[in-house]
Amino acid sequence: MKAKKRVVTYGKGVPPSRGAASSPAPKTHRTPTVRTIRSAIVEPRSAPPPRPASSAARPVGQPVAGPARSAVDLSVDLGRGLVLRNPILVASGTFGYGVEYADVVDIQRIGAICCKGTTLRPRQGNRPPRVTETPGGMLNSIGLQNPGVDAVLERYATQWAGWQVPVIVNVAGESIEDYVGVVRKLDLVPGIAGVELNISCPNVGKGGLQFAIDQEAAAAVTRAVRRATELPLIVKLSPNVADIRPIAAAIAAAGADALSAVNTLSGMALRADRSGPFLGNTYGGLSGPAIKPVALRIVYEVAQVVDIPVIAIGGVTGLDDVLDYLAAGAVAVQVGTAIFADPTLPVRLVDQLATECGRRGLASYELLIGTALPTRPNAASSKGVEYRP
Amino acid sequence: MQLVDAELQESRQVLPGQWLQQYHAPALAVSARAGQFVHLRTGDWSGLVLRRPFTINTADPATGAISLHFREVGRGTAWLSRLRPGERIDMLGPLGQGFQVDSRSRHLLLVAGGLGIADLRLLVDEALRDGRQVVLLYGCRDASEVYPSSLLPDEVEYLVATDDGSVGHRGFVTDLVLDYEAWADQAFACGPLPMLRTLAGLVAGRKGRLGVATLGRKRGGGRSVPPGSPAARKKAFLQVAMEQNMGCAVGACLGCVIWGVNGPQRVCREGPVFAFDEIDWDATAGAATHKR
Ligand code: FES
Repeated sequence: MKAKKRVVTYGKGVPPSRGAASSPAPKTHRTPTVRTIRSAIVEPRSAPPPRPASSAARPVGQPVAGPARSAVDLSVDLGRGLVLRNPILVASGTFGYGVEYADVVDIQRIGAICCKGTTLRPRQGNRPPRVTETPGGMLNSIGLQNPGVDAVLERYATQWAGWQVPVIVNVAGESIEDYVGVVRKLDLVPGIAGVELNISCPNVGKGGLQFAIDQEAAAAVTRAVRRATELPLIVKLSPNVADIRPIAAAIAAAGADALSAVNTLSGMALRADRSGPFLGNTYGGLSGPAIKPVALRIVYEVAQVVDIPVIAIGGVTGLDDVLDYLAAGAVAVQVGTAIFADPTLPVRLVDQLATECGRRGLASYELLIGTALPTRPNAASSKGVEYRP
Repeated sequence: MQLVDAELQESRQVLPGQWLQQYHAPALAVSARAGQFVHLRTGDWSGLVLRRPFTINTADPATGAISLHFREVGRGTAWLSRLRPGERIDMLGPLGQGFQVDSRSRHLLLVAGGLGIADLRLLVDEALRDGRQVVLLYGCRDASEVYPSSLLPDEVEYLVATDDGSVGHRGFVTDLVLDYEAWADQAFACGPLPMLRTLAGLVAGRKGRLGVATLGRKRGGGRSVPPGSPAARKKAFLQVAMEQNMGCAVGACLGCVIWGVNGPQRVCREGPVFAFDEIDWDATAGAATHKR
């Protein structure tokens, strides 16, 4: 497939100074262009409302960002009117329904919350144990435990509607009808800002083959959901595929507004006495810093073949990870596993990103996006195959 | 629940490989109840991505101190055991549902297997403070692991069982329960799964004839409460503190479930304390936890 050049549109305002030694040289050949689809970056809007003076307990030693951050535009448009105040989201499965961490985190300052995977009917999930720590990461096999879409809406939708932070409902299913059924129920419900499709589920209609690893099934479920709702639609990619690019392109062509990459990597662990698998479900999904290089590679590949916004997920534990993913072409990131150790990290990243932009003299974070992508579409490194043994 | 920056005040090895650490954490010391836990963050250098849950061993609102009792079993606990007084650590807590003592209970039977004592230690203090009588049964492998009686208040009747008979009763701690089940109004236990399962089986066989259930009947019987409800748990003759690997510890990730008779139960949120009849013991048997 021919790699498309990613075009970064410049927002209004003063061109940023490139004085800092660490800044990349201006790529003058990359002319600001209006894309056929809506820009991933919206133009500076009015300043966000001031944050509350006091926040919940903040780990001591975590600096509060300086005054510069209020002047920086962090807003991002994920398509179809889903505009976030900042590009730091929390990943599905790590933040429940948003209410669980409310005691210790000022959740309204997060860019968006992706809630726990939701299915048409209630699911009890997998047998325990369901989680275990691994070097630089963790394995989980929750098995989509959730009370079903009706119960989720009944318990949380009213609360969500009163929140400043948008809630994106993560949707899972075992057939296209499942997905469509959930999405129909979400459509037009106040408090639902968007949908993120978890397509790393077995497709019963295709003998249990995951939607995510089958280009046609992935496109078909995207198309069906697209027809069923006007909600902004994000599709979450699986890393457990040989080549992500045709799948990503097919999903984009089928009408997704944005892509998130990546879901967990398939893995397993053994019991201490090696008498069998540790997890009740045998296999689990690997997340955490251990998977960041894999996720970074996939974001880098996907960003070159689609024109819709890409949201990076995988091992974000600090500002450097956010900057890496932006440079690789993502317009936003989701924080996941790191929340367990550091619940206030997402909110701190918002401040740190604004401070970093201020330090570099940027009015918006958009100029951080895509700086590491190949400048020539056919550069060798964009083929994405030579490093695969 | 809050995030607290706790300072280590004292750390000592109380048994081979077992540490008792005292932290200054006034917010936790005031609010902690017996059976609740803290989720503790290890040092960033270690490559460990998860916090570790530890039961609050003791809490003293007057001095603002809490203590943790743990065994060095993995890299996280090894790191923790090497902390020096004055160093600070990030704790999330207090978390979970603690033990619930029925107001009518005068006689409490506590059954601890090994490090399970850490889950029951604060209950000893709370019960004595409320004027209750406490019998503590403690089981371990041999003399080298016997919990030092110097760490217990004098008012507690303390009996030990060892596998090899080197101290106290030779055999299982559950053997000792038979002598006290008639005396006890309620029993509270923490320890290895086989021990808890034996206890649960023992109690299930005598259901309705033990403890406050009997008291209730003497007074003409109470209204029936739905099993698994907080009211039912509070009246249960036996409450057990369960263990499971955790992710978030605040109820968000659903990683810590054990199987209950009503389906999956989050140890961090519905637990760690459960009534014995809330748990599906067959489905829970053989569950493993990782080396934290
Ligand atoms: S540890 Fe996350 S729900 Fe209990």
